[in-house]
Amino acid sequence: MLNDSNIARIIDAAMSKTADFAEVFIEESRSSSVSMLNGRVIKAGSGVASGVGIRLMAGTNVVYVYSNDFDADGLIKLAGEAADALKGNSRGEIKELESRCFRTASDINIDPMTVRKTDNVAFLKQASDHALSFDPLITQAAASFTNNMRTIRVVNSEGINRESSDTRMRFSVEVIATKGNEKQTGRIAPGTLRGYEFVNEYPIIEKTTQCCETALRMINAGYAPSGKMPVVLGNGFGGVIFHEACGHSLEATAVGIKSSCFTDMLGKKIASDKVTAYDNAKIKGEWGSYEIDDEDGISSNLLLIENGILKNYMVDKLGSRRMNCESTGCGRRQDYSYAPTSRMSNTYIDKGEDDPKDIISDTEYGLYCSQMGGGSVDTTTGEFNFAVNEGYMIRNGKICEPVRGATLIGKGSEVLLNIDRVGNDLELSAGMCGSISGGIPVTVGQPTIRLSSILVGGREEGEV
Amino acid sequence: MMDKATYESLLSGILLKAEKLGFDESQASYFSGISMEVSVLNGEVNSFERSSEQGIRFKGKKNGQMASSVTNVYTDEAIDYMLNNVSESCDILDDEDEDFIYCDPDNKELYCSQITNAFDKNTYSRFESIALKLEKDILASDPAIKAVDYLSISCDRAMNRKINSKGLQAYTDSDFVSVYAGARAEKDGQVKTSGYYWYGNDIDKFDSDDFVKVFKKRIMDKFGGTSVASGKYDIILGNEAVVAFFSTFMSNFSSYSMQKGLSLLAGKEGEVIASDTLNIKEIPLYEKALKKVPFDSEGVATTEKYIIEKGKFNTAFYNLKTANKAGIKSTGNGFGSMSFSNLMIEPGEKSFDELCMTIGNGLYITDLAGLHAGVNTISGDYSIFCEGFKIRDGKVAGAVEQITISDNFYDSIKKISDVGNDMYSEPGGAGEFFAPSMIIKDIKVAGEAVE
Repeated sequence: MLNDSNIARIIDAAMSKTADFAEVFIEESRSSSVSMLNGRVIKAGSGVASGVGIRLMAGTNVVYVYSNDFDADGLIKLAGEAADALKGNSRGEIKELESRCFRTASDINIDPMTVRKTDNVAFLKQASDHALSFDPLITQAAASFTNNMRTIRVVNSEGINRESSDTRMRFSVEVIATKGNEKQTGRIAPGTLRGYEFVNEYPIIEKTTQCCETALRMINAGYAPSGKMPVVLGNGFGGVIFHEACGHSLEATAVGIKSSCFTDMLGKKIASDKVTAYDNAKIKGEWGSYEIDDEDGISSNLLLIENGILKNYMVDKLGSRRMNCESTGCGRRQDYSYAPTSRMSNTYIDKGEDDPKDIISDTEYGLYCSQMGGGSVDTTTGEFNFAVNEGYMIRNGKICEPVRGATLIGKGSEVLLNIDRVGNDLELSAGMCGSISGGIPVTVGQPTIRLSSILVGGREEGEV
Repeated sequence: MMDKATYESLLSGILLKAEKLGFDESQASYFSGISMEVSVLNGEVNSFERSSEQGIRFKGKKNGQMASSVTNVYTDEAIDYMLNNVSESCDILDDEDEDFIYCDPDNKELYCSQITNAFDKNTYSRFESIALKLEKDILASDPAIKAVDYLSISCDRAMNRKINSKGLQAYTDSDFVSVYAGARAEKDGQVKTSGYYWYGNDIDKFDSDDFVKVFKKRIMDKFGGTSVASGKYDIILGNEAVVAFFSTFMSNFSSYSMQKGLSLLAGKEGEVIASDTLNIKEIPLYEKALKKVPFDSEGVATTEKYIIEKGKFNTAFYNLKTANKAGIKSTGNGFGSMSFSNLMIEPGEKSFDELCMTIGNGLYITDLAGLHAGVNTISGDYSIFCEGFKIRDGKVAGAVEQITISDNFYDSIKKISDVGNDMYSEPGGAGEFFAPSMIIKDIKVAGEAVE
């Protein structure tokens, strides 16, 4: 690893020409994983990865170099070459280094890194055995467990000297129901920054039962209808709609170059009055949380939308230069091989006042999506799509037959205005988000909400 | 980066250590790569990235179980830590299917070097000048194009050296260079985006004028789009969309998925599963492919073969482990997870225009979005957000947007009535995926009728 004097020499080399800012990002991560299929451990591994990223800025011009070779002379040479490539006008100053500050967002009683792999295997086996004996139609059960301890250190020419270490743990259970040629799945994949006590407290049998029930209901489901209709989105992972349809378009990555459909909309109404939304990286122990971002920012609890009015964008360091405002501490990256950019953390629509039961009973006809899949968005046009993993028709205010194969499509700017009911049952759900700085852990979330009208892409004719 | 003598001695040292630690079979490889990327925005370079990375991967077999690990620290302590980790992983595995470390006794030395001097042309200043000119030319090509939000030129060179306890001596290296641009256009209050991509191994072969011409057409043709009424349509799936569509479902052709009950193709080898117009062939040494792939990551020679021939499912992709379970020889598709070398959906006779004439009235689908989410890869069900054009009286008419196409993959491939000769390719598997446009009949489209 690099000592302080070598880090200072790298920053000196980086600032030797026209950079007004230089940063050294040092990362080491240790991970361990096991995968099980039908009760047998088919994969087990662990690894150590480390590397260094050096970023130089001159205004909004950026040079980023990285390597996993920690040879100090090699890195100083690389920083010098980066300085040669940067286009700037004047040389910036190097401030004296602050004393090192350490933070973590993990909330740990039992360190997952000290738990034996055989204990993880036993935990997964409970789920697997339960699923395989649940119903003859459940033909496969896959389960996996990973934990990862990531330590980062950020040192820059502004004197910042911060270190952070977080231990993340995630497991998943996926069951498959088979009937003839049909296969349908049910899945859970919780993630946490808490310790192994999260696993010990997790109701794995109950949750696996729910997975099996989903798969069994969906294997017997008909196809979803097509056309515009009211849609009720269940709480938790239903928040992926907000993440895709709105969140990405509020990142400085898009807003800073004015390519987002929400550019220049601060203070304006972009959602229905019922919508208040946050990006809160400070929830202790939550999967998408962090205390120090992957540049020099301290994380924040950021109000994005208040009663429909756009209040804040998510701004990273480069974005703050482009947009002439403060960073909100959201510069994140998968690892040292990516330069950081503005990203989400725990992003959710806040709870409202409606009882979820009333939202359903007040809906004459529509689609109830109890489990959402993933989706994608074009941040410029705001067009998004996302998949419905578990859906039901609503008729006369009652949840009726299950339907499958539905996709919801629309434009972010329109769908937010169409939210006409917001429930009081806020829940968060872990996921991974992919963008230009790689794949990072995030949570999405929302209470039960209703969209007054959205296009459902299904395979059957709709009822009008 | 390590020099040859250093990594050679490191690798052979690891195999010796592995033997002492009780591994029955072992394999060690050294990999390294360098890369560079130049991005421009608003007339200047806004980002420049360079990297160099290297590492050691170890795979070991003990008590019939196989595990692997990677390290980028090369001290004795780090190597011991890695080997012990793998050993510990082998102890907890209880995979019923045996995996193998392999070397063909008649072909112990596998060598495939495809790097060229053209890589030396990939300099910062060269990329900068091409990128700045390209941005300018794209903006000048139409007044409606307001910004090139993303434009980057990147290159990388990768090498891999592998030895194993069975005597394998393998070496591969290759170069890659690519150009990507994404832009935004605005007209009559509508905003449209589009991206386009070029790749090769020699930046001199990049034709900037041609790129701009295609780029402009791709983005400007999107204006004036409307949705269409829900219903069943005959569609032409454009060649790019064909690659995206088939890539999404390719895992079903993996013998691993089939053996684990995760593919509906299990037990279907030798059966007709698609229209007789569909031929999917793996051609590892395809002359037009950027990268020839004579052997897979397990050291098994690749072979030219039909996966689907006139609609008949000839063979799945096998690696050493799945082939052993099936009692056959590996098909040379062990590329990390199972994959293909260079894959081609064989072209038909008709040009794209003739496909339009054949279909008469229908839809031409050019872009599929959210393929990672809108499909159930196992059941084959899909409902995908897409864009394209109407086809009226045998000609491409106005743009179509805000629609989804829905069907089942296994049904759709039975409804392919014609395959064009307009080949498109993009990187895929361990090489490239080549495919033409095709007509698929009777696909459910969800939209909203516009009067």
